[in-house]
Amino acid sequence: MNSSKDQIEAISSVINNTRENLKPISINFIFWGCLVIVMSLFHIAFESFIQATQYSATLFWTVLPLIGMILTIYYNIKHRKKIGYETYLSRVIKIIWGVFNLAWIYIIAVSLTLNNFHPVPPILFLLGLILIITGMIIKFKPITLGGIFLITFTFYLNFNPGIDLLVVNVVGVFLGMLLPGLALFYSKPDNKSDG
Amino acid sequence: MDKLLFNPVRLKILSSLINNSQCDFNHLKKVTEATQGNLSIQLKKLKEEKYIHIEKKFSKNYPNTTCSITKKGKIKFEEFFINLITLKENGK
Repeated sequence: MNSSKDQIEAISSVINNTRENLKPISINFIFWGCLVIVMSLFHIAFESFIQATQYSATLFWTVLPLIGMILTIYYNIKHRKKIGYETYLSRVIKIIWGVFNLAWIYIIAVSLTLNNFHPVPPILFLLGLILIITGMIIKFKPITLGGIFLITFTFYLNFNPGIDLLVVNVVGVFLGMLLPGLALFYSKPDNKSDG
Repeated sequence: MDKLLFNPVRLKILSSLINNSQCDFNHLKKVTEATQGNLSIQLKKLKEEKYIHIEKKFSKNYPNTTCSITKKGKIKFEEFFINLITLKENGK
């Protein structure tokens, strides 16, 4: 490997070896999409059971998502250890969603202390913003469109306060997160960002 | 040109680290196609010159070495790469 051409080829072969694989990101979207939809449908179907006591609904909507957070963090750490490297793109996305998790905890904590504050609209708005950022970073339009849909949806909610927020959760997360996540999962690697 | 990066293993190590925020020992062994001993020596040399940062941890009783590039390493790699392109354009 003496010539400059050989050295440039060695550099590019190493860089191509660590191309970004976006499938784990899509698995996160699919997992969270399914979890929130199943929880919302369960809440709608067994409303009297979930809202049996003053704190049962709060427990339901905090404990299960916290378990979900732990599971996704564990999955992402395990995946990173398995492949043996972390791209800058993965790192940026990890930080963005980490901040979203903290914001989610903050919004839930505020909703517990204020009586007339429902956490669903601000969480969906924030989720929409994060989806737009993620979609633009990984250059995947369905994720960006999902985010735009969620922002528009939460804007619409302001003028229609009577809508059942559990139904809003189901529709918003299905169109904003689950469908784009499935689209990313089944997309061809060539369409994705190269990290 | 930086003589340290003329070694193919060291060049491949920095090429991998410039593209990733961090890489573990096994991944570097795979991309450099070097033996464990040779890779350890080259990593040590890059660390001594402060081109890379090495973090050693234990995971389930097994040693786990993670490497990342330093600011100096990034500058040196960029300079080396620009020089390579210039040489290539001049037909050398």
